[in-house]
Amino acid sequence: MLRVRDVTVRFGGIVALDGVSLDLNRGEILGLIGPNGAGKTTLFNCISGVIAPDKGTIFFEGHSLVYAPPHVRARFGIARTFQNLQLWGSMTVAENLVVPMDALGRRNTFSDALHLPFSSYAERASMERARAILHVLDLDRYAGTLAGDLPAGIQRRVEIARALAMRPRLLLLDEPAAGLDAQETARLAELLHAVRERFHVSMLLVDHDMSLVMRVCDYVYVLDFGKLLARGQPAAIRTDPKVIAAYLGEESKKLEGEVATVVPTRPQHAPLLEVKQLAAGYGGLEVIRDVSLEVRPGEVVACIGANGAGKTTTLRAISGMIHPRRGRVMFGGRDVTGTSAERIAQLGLIHIPEGRGLFPNLSVEDTLRLVSNTAGHDVNITPAFELFPKLRQRRRQLVGTLSGGEQQMVALGRAILSEPRLVMIDEMSQGLAPTVVRQLFDIIRVFREQGIAVLLVEQFVESALDVADRAYVFEHGSIRLSGPAVELRADRKLVAGSYLGTAVDATAVAAANGNGHHVDPALMEIVSVRVPAKVKRALEQRAEVEGRPTGAVAIELLEKVDHQ
Amino acid sequence: MTSRLIFRVLIALVAFTVLARIPVGFDVGFKFDAGLAVIWAFALLSLVLLTGYVGQISLCQATFAGVGAYAAGMMSATFHVDYIVAVAVGVAAAFALGVIVGLPALRLHGITLAIVTLGIALVFDRYVFQDHAFEWLTGGTGGWRVGQASMFGLQMDSSKHLMGAYVVLLALFCLVALLLVNLHDSGAGRRFRAIRDSELAAATMGVNLTRYKLLAFGMSAAIAGMGGAFYPLVAGSVSPQPFWLFTSLQFAAIAVLMGVRYVPAAALGGAFMAFVPDVLTRYGHGTLFGRQYEISYDWFQIAVGVLLIVQLITLPDGVWGDLRHRVLNARSAAGALRGRKVEVA
Amino acid sequence: MAAFAAYTIIGLSLGGIFSLAALGIVLIYRTTGVLNFAHGAMGMFSTFIAWQVFYGWSHPFWPGWLSTLLAIIAGLLFAAAMGLFLEFAVFRWVRTREPVVKAVITIGVLLALQSAASLIWKNNQYHLPIYLAPQTATFTIADVPIGANNVVIIIAALILAFGLGAFLRYTTFGRAMRAVSDSPTSASLWGVPVGRVGAVSWMLGSLVAAVAGILITPFINFDTTSLTLLIIDALAAALIGGLVSLPLTVLGGFILGLLETYPTIWIQSLGFPRLVALLVILAVLVVRNPRGFAVAAK
Repeated sequence: MLRVRDVTVRFGGIVALDGVSLDLNRGEILGLIGPNGAGKTTLFNCISGVIAPDKGTIFFEGHSLVYAPPHVRARFGIARTFQNLQLWGSMTVAENLVVPMDALGRRNTFSDALHLPFSSYAERASMERARAILHVLDLDRYAGTLAGDLPAGIQRRVEIARALAMRPRLLLLDEPAAGLDAQETARLAELLHAVRERFHVSMLLVDHDMSLVMRVCDYVYVLDFGKLLARGQPAAIRTDPKVIAAYLGEESKKLEGEVATVVPTRPQHAPLLEVKQLAAGYGGLEVIRDVSLEVRPGEVVACIGANGAGKTTTLRAISGMIHPRRGRVMFGGRDVTGTSAERIAQLGLIHIPEGRGLFPNLSVEDTLRLVSNTAGHDVNITPAFELFPKLRQRRRQLVGTLSGGEQQMVALGRAILSEPRLVMIDEMSQGLAPTVVRQLFDIIRVFREQGIAVLLVEQFVESALDVADRAYVFEHGSIRLSGPAVELRADRKLVAGSYLGTAVDATAVAAANGNGHHVDPALMEIVSVRVPAKVKRALEQRAEVEGRPTGAVAIELLEKVDHQ
Repeated sequence: MTSRLIFRVLIALVAFTVLARIPVGFDVGFKFDAGLAVIWAFALLSLVLLTGYVGQISLCQATFAGVGAYAAGMMSATFHVDYIVAVAVGVAAAFALGVIVGLPALRLHGITLAIVTLGIALVFDRYVFQDHAFEWLTGGTGGWRVGQASMFGLQMDSSKHLMGAYVVLLALFCLVALLLVNLHDSGAGRRFRAIRDSELAAATMGVNLTRYKLLAFGMSAAIAGMGGAFYPLVAGSVSPQPFWLFTSLQFAAIAVLMGVRYVPAAALGGAFMAFVPDVLTRYGHGTLFGRQYEISYDWFQIAVGVLLIVQLITLPDGVWGDLRHRVLNARSAAGALRGRKVEVA
Repeated sequence: MAAFAAYTIIGLSLGGIFSLAALGIVLIYRTTGVLNFAHGAMGMFSTFIAWQVFYGWSHPFWPGWLSTLLAIIAGLLFAAAMGLFLEFAVFRWVRTREPVVKAVITIGVLLALQSAASLIWKNNQYHLPIYLAPQTATFTIADVPIGANNVVIIIAALILAFGLGAFLRYTTFGRAMRAVSDSPTSASLWGVPVGRVGAVSWMLGSLVAAVAGILITPFINFDTTSLTLLIIDALAAALIGGLVSLPLTVLGGFILGLLETYPTIWIQSLGFPRLVALLVILAVLVVRNPRGFAVAAK
């Protein structure tokens, strides 16, 4: 159905994709995974029409996609959802669904303005279909709500519904599990299967969440550094050493229950940071309700919990990025609730936000020297280079061009240089390969050695508990549990229950494989074959083993069938 | 569905009958203001479509109106046609220019589009409307003088028969306003709004951006041009000054002040722009604490500027928008009890 | 051929003005996210203040150079004050809004300033003979008289541009300004005083606009609108620099000056140079468009 051949994409000097080829068969759910920066989003964008490849071809059901603008691809039957949710917020959910239907039908602006009979009729028909789709996805009650007013999880479902309204043959899903916790992801997996059954769509899925990919996909392609690293069935990919090395890193070892050295508990000091009954949120939404925690000098405290539980919001409310609505924040004995972020940073409470909070157009050196601005005097930046020798070579390079891991090093380097009393780090490991993450967690230990307290928000529960003295478990906007890290690690159920990030879900239900189509012998063609995807894959594998083209193997088999 | 349509048509008719009677009995200056108010209201309406519905920013609406005015003036003064033809030509010319201006809009957004439209407004203001090369359109330094004209046998001119022009203008305005309000809820309107809310998603979901953006610009320019086409009739002559860059900027300012997404706001804005300065200059002078003072047009413009700044800092949806929200909130509280979806024109 | 050289110098001095104006725009835009449509109007107002001091309030007994100096100082002081005022009264409150909203606010500022100036100084034409070099110092190239002042403008523009660039690159505060221009939220998390940086940017920007206005006024009869409308040319130059790079902006200004001057050899038209500016804007925007779909409006 979809044939991508030798696609190459260059952005300036960087090769984002290097001769990647991919096949998607009718009825399949195909997964595309890889570490951050591997090129999967770029490939995805090429297929959906956002960018054009420098070299290579993309064919969809015989149509070449290379020069087709997005709306033409829509007409071919390709629909997509967006990672950052591009719903039409000022329109209701039903209207959101109706637009693609209209757009692909033959609607006329003037007859619409005059509400001519043709338009009214088409309107009613579209609305009917929209309601039907909403019903399948269990969204009926939201039909009349403005899309902008819905919570994020529902918005995701609406995005999928909208894409389905187009009657697509291929649905491209861009990180559909982003921001969902384990339960929601499981529901998403079921939803995707149901969608395939009811709507007969094939899907291409890009995501970081291995549990979703393993559950849902029939076949998986793995990219790394812009090249195809491996492909195969999910179970095979999961155990492929190359993939594990590049992507999962040493995470699998941690799951075996290895216990790291126990850190001795600190003597009781007066708390450096005290948060009492903090409440905060965005707009009409209250994200954290009643959060109380404390950090003592020199301690490392971890915050874990499902996505959306309020960990990031808590850090932001503490550091002044957003204003708390209720509650108090005390730092070093002073009340800093509601103080500006600048002032709080100057007091010695540093926040490294999600995304690292760096300056893309400043060089590494300039960024580190910025610390002098806050300190009020010139600060020697050499200690940062001693800690992160890699940065020394890159001192003149613009921060925006560094890799994720290097950027994190810059952020941490600055943290060390400003001699803070407390550093809050939000999702340090996000989007980084596990090998890099390992190194960064070691830096946390350096912080502790220097007497700097650390408040860590982390999705890699194992690593976080490994390095922390204590931990708080967040759930739905407040703290459910707290205690010494050692105790929490021993509670297996807790660890499994919270969001495990890229760790493989060992209890995943095997994906319901197979497609929704039947073999149609009368129309079987060798080149675009309407056979079950599994059969085609098996043919390909056999052909690879025998070193012959797939078509030849297929012909041979057919001849055998013929003769029987 | 149709009950809503009937409701709107009724409102349009009522508005028309009421407003048509107002200037009767006042002097020519006032009638002129009334006519001007509708012409400006057309321009503001064009912004409701372009910026309010489709989300494209434009700082050259006065230019479109000006092109309509000059084209109509030229047709009437040179060829002495029935004024309806002159208006048609004006609208067509404005539409064509709108589509051309829409071409850069296909690739530009936000600030860069604003800059380009600003440049266009300036070029037309300083160059096209004033240079020898375009005398065929502008009628030279004096502009066109339109003495008398007729439309469907109705006599119109800028002094004794000003009411004729005003009534026709008003009728057209009510019609176009009605069409725009209907457009908002229609399929095409939804496609426009989809472009405004998320162009990326709109394109991916099958909306042909090129077609709809060019259409939006063309229609918007045509609407502004329609109003402009009546200017020679109402004022008696055309000159570049009413259509210069600062007028375009004022349109943008007032549209935002009143609420750029709402049709009635356009009418309000038009009246504001035409009447307030005139009233101020006529009655705003005298002595205060022993000193002579005179409120001139400049004061009006300062007020607009300051109001715009204050409003953008505090009320992003404009005066009408804010009112509408208050009404909606009150009604939805009541409506929720009855379990109905609430809609307001 | 020599006429060409003459026109080149005139074009470059015009370009110098554009560069200065554009520098202010880019500086303000980079550090506060505000594309200041009112930049020309701000320069205009400061220039009028200078005029007022020069003609309205100077003593007939003072030597000429004192009047000139006082006028310039008054203009610059006013410019700095106006910049600070705008930051504290207006733009401080909209730091987190979208760029388009902030730009529309500057339209409000433009309208207000424009009308205020019109109110005070009416719609007359003015002439402000502030010369940095003696007026009589001229030389001729191919029968075209070139004032030393033309050259002065070019030099002044270059000095200011380099000065600003050096300030940004090598000083601590300059670094802070660059950080804020990259990402205001990150900068505040780093303890960089975002408010102070914004205020200084507005001040510097306003100053540079005033310098541009004062430098150009000896050569033209200006009124309240003509300087305001310089904004288009300034924007064109700023766009050549991509709204980011100061050196390219300066270069862009000079190039635009040349492009607007050369055609006057053949075409005598007051409005034609504006068309050139527009074409340059279009060309730059079309060429600079990122590949593929323009994601996220500016």
